[in-house]
Amino acid sequence: MSNNILTQNDIQHVDYKDVDLLKQFINPHGRIVGRTKSGLTAKQQRAVEAAIKRARFMGLLPFIQK
Amino acid sequence: MADDAVVEMNETGAVALRIYEVGYHIAPDTKEEDLDKVVTTLREAIKAGGGSFIAEGAPSLTKLAYPIFLREGEKSVEYDRGYFGWIKFEAPIAAAQAIEAFLKQNRSFFRFLVFQTVREDTRAKMKAPQLREVKRTDVIKQAPRRVEEVSAPVSEEDLEKALSDITSE
Repeated sequence: MSNNILTQNDIQHVDYKDVDLLKQFINPHGRIVGRTKSGLTAKQQRAVEAAIKRARFMGLLPFIQK
Repeated sequence: MADDAVVEMNETGAVALRIYEVGYHIAPDTKEEDLDKVVTTLREAIKAGGGSFIAEGAPSLTKLAYPIFLREGEKSVEYDRGYFGWIKFEAPIAAAQAIEAFLKQNRSFFRFLVFQTVREDTRAKMKAPQLREVKRTDVIKQAPRRVEEVSAPVSEEDLEKALSDITSE
């Protein structure tokens, strides 16, 4: 079974304000996890990356975590 | 700014409209009663550019993931929280550029983001986590309950008789 969170929850759009959802796609250091680990399609991965970068700029997610 | 503003026309000749979203952080030292005034200035700037509102999120005090430093004259100000709000609107390209310029000038908004989005609601509606149904293989059958015998008071005569019966055998 795939571990694609977006498909499982029928999520069409990824919003930068959904911090709890985006936190599932970053590792404990704050880095974006790759497709092999996230299980997303290429299109979904691009949308998640853009949303995480917007959330980081707005101070909702960290750039790095110690 | 207006001279080099992009004006895109659609097939009918009218100015093409796009869906934008603006997210902003208002300085935490702003009084709560003044928040509405600050947001109203932004709303007016959107309206002035010919924009129409689609959705809005009221500003609420949010803790930032990292401190944001801002240079105010000689001093450097650190913000570790801010009133975060957002507005989704439909406007021509030139209006979006004007709004960005307005936010840059306004010191109340210490961080903002304007980007193109879609009309639909983009917030994720996560399904409630469902517990997996597990088929039980180890069904425990309940043993039949033993009915407790109700003991009636025994007279001494009956007791002695019973004892003598046992000893005589």
